[in-house]
Amino acid sequence: MRAFICGFGTIGQSVARVIKEKQDFFSKRYGETLTLVGALDSKTYISDPNGLDADAIIKAKKETGKVGNKDYKDIKDALESVDFEILIEVTSTNIETGGAGLENIRYALENGKDVVTANKGPLALKFKELTDLADKHDRYLLFEGTVGGAMPIINLNKYDLAGQKIKSIRGIFNGTCNYILTKMDDGQPFEQALKEAQQQGYAETDPTNDVEGYDSACKVVILANSIFGRNATLDDVEITGITSINSDAVALAQNNGMVIRLIGEVSPTKLEVAPRLIPRGHPLSLPGTLNTAEIITEYAGPITVSGVGAGGLETASAILSDIIDIMDERIGD
Amino acid sequence: MIVNAELFVNDLPGQLIGSIEPISMVNGNILGVVHNRDRIVDNRICVNVTFEVGDRQLERLKELWKARDIVISSLGSVHETFTMHYILIGDVNAQYIEGLLKKVNEATTLDQINVSYSSKSVKTASHTSLITVKARYEDNLDKIDSILRRECKKANITYIRGV
Repeated sequence: MRAFICGFGTIGQSVARVIKEKQDFFSKRYGETLTLVGALDSKTYISDPNGLDADAIIKAKKETGKVGNKDYKDIKDALESVDFEILIEVTSTNIETGGAGLENIRYALENGKDVVTANKGPLALKFKELTDLADKHDRYLLFEGTVGGAMPIINLNKYDLAGQKIKSIRGIFNGTCNYILTKMDDGQPFEQALKEAQQQGYAETDPTNDVEGYDSACKVVILANSIFGRNATLDDVEITGITSINSDAVALAQNNGMVIRLIGEVSPTKLEVAPRLIPRGHPLSLPGTLNTAEIITEYAGPITVSGVGAGGLETASAILSDIIDIMDERIGD
Repeated sequence: MIVNAELFVNDLPGQLIGSIEPISMVNGNILGVVHNRDRIVDNRICVNVTFEVGDRQLERLKELWKARDIVISSLGSVHETFTMHYILIGDVNAQYIEGLLKKVNEATTLDQINVSYSSKSVKTASHTSLITVKARYEDNLDKIDSILRRECKKANITYIRGV
């Protein structure tokens, strides 16, 4: 099979690397390889029906800031330059319009490509439209990497907990906020903890999406739609961020054996992102940048998963599992 | 119902078993037993037992104990309580909290309410307070959440609840 990567930042480069490193795995499992035939960034693209050298294009991107030597204005120019079966959509997230990712996914599905994405924006805004489009064209649209990075949650519910009623899911879905709140546990004021998160590369220069809870809300929407079969959008989520959490609140919580964490909660009747009081030692009291989720199931009771919520290789691991899912279905394992 | 009983039994072999056996005879479920040999009154030793039993079986149980010469010192129902914590950040002075809790009390029954304030913020306009409530029924917590959420939204107060 052949793949095209849309978006060649940290995640796109990591996916290219993982595809290269897993060629033996693909050969053994399917009797054929997965060939990377195209890649694009915001301005340029490169494609080759015989396959691209992942190391060479990563090097080119790092040295020149461009993945290819051909410019494009219309995404069609790039995606029609070579035949492929799987589009890997990892352009930057835009939660207001869906950005280029939304257009790329639409175009790929309409043109008979399976899609794997880690881009939250398109799914948080247009989940039903995109899944309907995938169904209409008998294509796969898989998105494990959109929630919790390396932490398996969508496929866990889809496969391992299949058939069971999921009563609720609540979790820490934003590593940046968790880092800030953990630093506040240590006595730092909010502003200082945020600055440190920015210096460490955990928070963007404009941290609004993280600290106001919008990033977590996107994940809540994706979980609500994919696991609970809802038709929710961002507007349906009750969102409270962490900007008004002060040192006094953190101290009061600590004096009573608790910590404050930004928790996303999804159930058949609730969609919420809000700071919550968590008893110390509870699975949701996790410190640092990790993501975690507590799934309340019909038969198995509570199941807790955690993992690194962001990062190139970590997200690529989720993308790899979706690619394998598609190859299993299209080729057979 | 869950019941706690303080019994006094004769200080003789087999009396401890003799005191808890009637609970099984009325299909009760023993949750805990403390044999307190330090508490001796009139040559009788204290046995404290907590158990679940059907409401209608309690009278029969008391008769069984009396028939075995077991003194019932106290007998009371024990109920489970649900605890929830809330932190409020904003213009939440004692007067405001009092009014808020009045609304909560009008809507539901609470077993216990504790309010504490951050020592740092008492002199500033913005206060932080922690409210801890104990309710007999889990449904009551939903009612409290609904009231606090609504009132805090109205007053632009940050509302943080437990899990």
